[in-house]
Amino acid sequence: MPWKHKTYIRKKIVVTFFLCCAVFLLLCGRLFYLMVVQSEYYTEAAEDLHERERKIKAARGRIIDSTGAVLADNRTVCTISVIHNQIKEPEEVVKVLSRELGLSEEYVAKRVEKYSAIERIKSNVDKETGDKIREYDLEGVKVDEDYKRYYPYETLASKVLGFTGGDNQGIIGLEVIYEEYLKGKEGTILTVTDAKGVEIAEAGEERIEPENGNDLYVSLDINIQSYATQLAMQAMETKEADSVSILVMNPQNGEILAMVNVPEFNLNEPYTLPEGTAESASQEEKQNLLNQMWRNGCINDTYEPGSTFKIITAAAGLESGAVTVNDRFSCPGYVMVEDRRIRCHKISGHGAEDFVQGTMNSCNPVFVTVGMRIGVDRYYDYFKQFGLLSKTGVDLPGEAGTIMHKKENIGAVELATISFGQSFQITPIQLATTVSSIVNGGTRVTPHFGVKVVDSEGNIKETLKYPVQKNIVSAETSATMRYILEQVVENGSGKNGYVEGYRIGGKTATSQTLPRGSGRYISSFLGFAPADDPQVLAIAIINNPQGVYYGGQIAAPIVRQLFENILPYLEGIDYNT
Amino acid sequence: MAGIRAGIRAEQRMQARSVSRVKRKQEENFFDYSMLFIVLFLLGFGLVMIYSTSSYSAALQHEGDSAFFLRKQAVATVIGLFAMIVVANIPYHFWERFATLAYIGSAVLIPMVLVPGLRYTANGASRWIKVGPLTVQPAEVAKLGMILFLASLVCKMGRGIRTTKGFFTVLLVPAPICLMIWKITNNLSSAIIVFGIAALMLFVSSPEYKKFVIMGVAGIAGAAALVALIVNVAASEDMNFRFARILAWLDPEAYANGKGFQTLQALYAIGSGGILGKGLGQSRQKLGFLPEAQNDMIFSIICEELGLFGGIAVIMMFLLLIWRFMVIANNASDLFGALLVVGVMGHVAIQVILNIAVVTNTIPNTGISLPFISYGGSAVLFMLIEIGLVLSVAKGIRLKDL
Repeated sequence: MPWKHKTYIRKKIVVTFFLCCAVFLLLCGRLFYLMVVQSEYYTEAAEDLHERERKIKAARGRIIDSTGAVLADNRTVCTISVIHNQIKEPEEVVKVLSRELGLSEEYVAKRVEKYSAIERIKSNVDKETGDKIREYDLEGVKVDEDYKRYYPYETLASKVLGFTGGDNQGIIGLEVIYEEYLKGKEGTILTVTDAKGVEIAEAGEERIEPENGNDLYVSLDINIQSYATQLAMQAMETKEADSVSILVMNPQNGEILAMVNVPEFNLNEPYTLPEGTAESASQEEKQNLLNQMWRNGCINDTYEPGSTFKIITAAAGLESGAVTVNDRFSCPGYVMVEDRRIRCHKISGHGAEDFVQGTMNSCNPVFVTVGMRIGVDRYYDYFKQFGLLSKTGVDLPGEAGTIMHKKENIGAVELATISFGQSFQITPIQLATTVSSIVNGGTRVTPHFGVKVVDSEGNIKETLKYPVQKNIVSAETSATMRYILEQVVENGSGKNGYVEGYRIGGKTATSQTLPRGSGRYISSFLGFAPADDPQVLAIAIINNPQGVYYGGQIAAPIVRQLFENILPYLEGIDYNT
Repeated sequence: MAGIRAGIRAEQRMQARSVSRVKRKQEENFFDYSMLFIVLFLLGFGLVMIYSTSSYSAALQHEGDSAFFLRKQAVATVIGLFAMIVVANIPYHFWERFATLAYIGSAVLIPMVLVPGLRYTANGASRWIKVGPLTVQPAEVAKLGMILFLASLVCKMGRGIRTTKGFFTVLLVPAPICLMIWKITNNLSSAIIVFGIAALMLFVSSPEYKKFVIMGVAGIAGAAALVALIVNVAASEDMNFRFARILAWLDPEAYANGKGFQTLQALYAIGSGGILGKGLGQSRQKLGFLPEAQNDMIFSIICEELGLFGGIAVIMMFLLLIWRFMVIANNASDLFGALLVVGVMGHVAIQVILNIAVVTNTIPNTGISLPFISYGGSAVLFMLIEIGLVLSVAKGIRLKDL
């Protein structure tokens, strides 16, 4: 054999060996890349495949009113999921689920075919439907029970309470603001499974118990809210108005007892537009209509307050010394401001009157004169001091700010119109809060619903506190204002707000909406009782009434009726408990 | 070369100490205990891993018999070891006379899988023939047959290998067998291995380099061009189906429910193993996620359980084995012996490289088992016969020649 001389063969064998070494090194590099660099990615993907995670929903905290009525509760609903590897008859599963759940077959099929440990098909399914699906006894289909928000009073205070979405998260209203307290913490069951979906016993089951949400106690009073809703509905129907808002609060501490914005909507079906709405094609349009439906007029919308704002001008005038109760005025039916002639609502004029009578008459020339005497600088300062430039801080989302002239743009004409409540816009809650502060002795309160947070065991977790600002007006001015406003109701333009046996203070307003001359009005009345020590303050606002539109004639009676019923009722409630 | 010689000498010294009381004849000859140890280690490790990977699904499939696959493999291993000992004790020149028969035998055996009475089908592939209780994969026979035939052929050609005619003769001889394996048994990977063995034997026996470099570069360029072409035409449904294997290789996640499924599951296993692994027996992917985990994809479970360290350790063991093959081939007493060892070396190296490359999705998925470790009776039996041959060649090395 010539083998011993063929040294090149030996060389080639060595070359082969080193080629192998090189390739093995490359493969080691590849392994390093997969097992170190990409390890996290693949580990996560693998765990996703092996671990079946089932959420245990936490019960969301309830919302409870001051009488103990549960305004927002939970109801048992079902979540339908599929476990890929346990499914025996995929076609049947797709057919049944798409039929029972009203989903498209493609949607269900895509989830059924997905190779994962567990795949959610639909949540918030009625318990009835869930039970029905369970009865089919399909392998690989899981029906888990959980909770869904339920509002026993349906439309009551809908725009205040708000509702929750698919994951039980707050969408609007108190549900959003108090999300952190209400939502609780989801629990999970983690199990390791084999490819067939059989749980591996040795790997154990990790269970994290859910933590239920805390209950929120609010200052709303279901009785007052219900009655106010009735009154508002009545007024809306008889006056063919666009909407009616009623706000009832305690001027001493800012607690809101009722906030009505009719038309309300059904909280259990928040995505159903009111009947008679055209089937609009575009999704965007529909969303706009929904947003419109969900708006809380007391907070989200601004308006020109009109004559009710004379309370603020009066308080500023008295506080600054620009006017006293005994100052005498004369109203010829108009007042000249620079070259502009500003008319009084009584064209023939109120004649000679003192300041109290001027307020009772809601006489524009009187307030224009007072405004002029205060002057732009001081008026603007009071505007700010009373808190009108900032938001009230109410515990609802989306509060609108005040729309006001810039100080440097306020001339005599602007000042004159501001004095009787025109040419700027505020929210109803802002007006109610500012007037509360003026008549309660001068303490600016924060309007609010939330009173306390109680955990699921019944322990008080937190008593909610709100900022107050003292002495925005002097006690003396506050007392004078109470006197004047009581006179308005006793003998003046607000006499329709009078309730026999009670001392009521108040002010009416009728403001034309922009653009002027459209014939659209907003009528309102703000009243409080008892006039000497206000415990309750109510404002009724009628948006675009047909026929008679004077606030004194259509809004004042609403507050009167409200007071006739709630004052005796409130006397029975001891607020110190 | 000097280093290798030194290694042999160290071997020799150890040998000398332990053999002092043994017969004179054996003292004169070399026995490669290191290689035997490596092979036994790989076999033992393979059995442990087969039990680890298959026990869960075996218990489910075979009424609680978790050792079902382990037992079958153990029996094949014992038979293989017995065959190895027999072959190791037969001087390898004995087989030279059967070289032509081995080639013809392979060519005859392969079409047998088409014969209904003999055909044996497993996992949807008809790659086995069954005679009595014995199932044999003709492709495994062909690998051994090709090694034997080419070793003999090259020896007979002598200097003829240097001619272009000789070159192409050696290159074309395996072609019919490869085509048959590919087309008849529908087993592209075995065809590639047989061809690879032949190519390596030719590379070693020919003094040429240039031709092989050109062939290698052309092969890689051709493959790259083909892949690029496939990606471009994959838009059409039909093409998409045909080349799904290539497309799934490039993006296994996009074909997670189809051709990419097995690869993706293997990647999950490897990736989730991390540096130190989940521990022996702790694989999750073997719980049915990675189908037939004890077969071709066993390396991914090794990685999942034993981590990067375990994976590299296994690669190192194979490298050691290939090193032993090199040492034996270089010291073989004649060219025929050397070429036999080169053939076996090529067989083991190609299969290990392709298997790990497939499992790590470095190349497109094709069924290649990991020698000594993957489940499969025929494979381990023939592999051990080849090891027996190598041991026989090693025995032919006279110690005074080292």
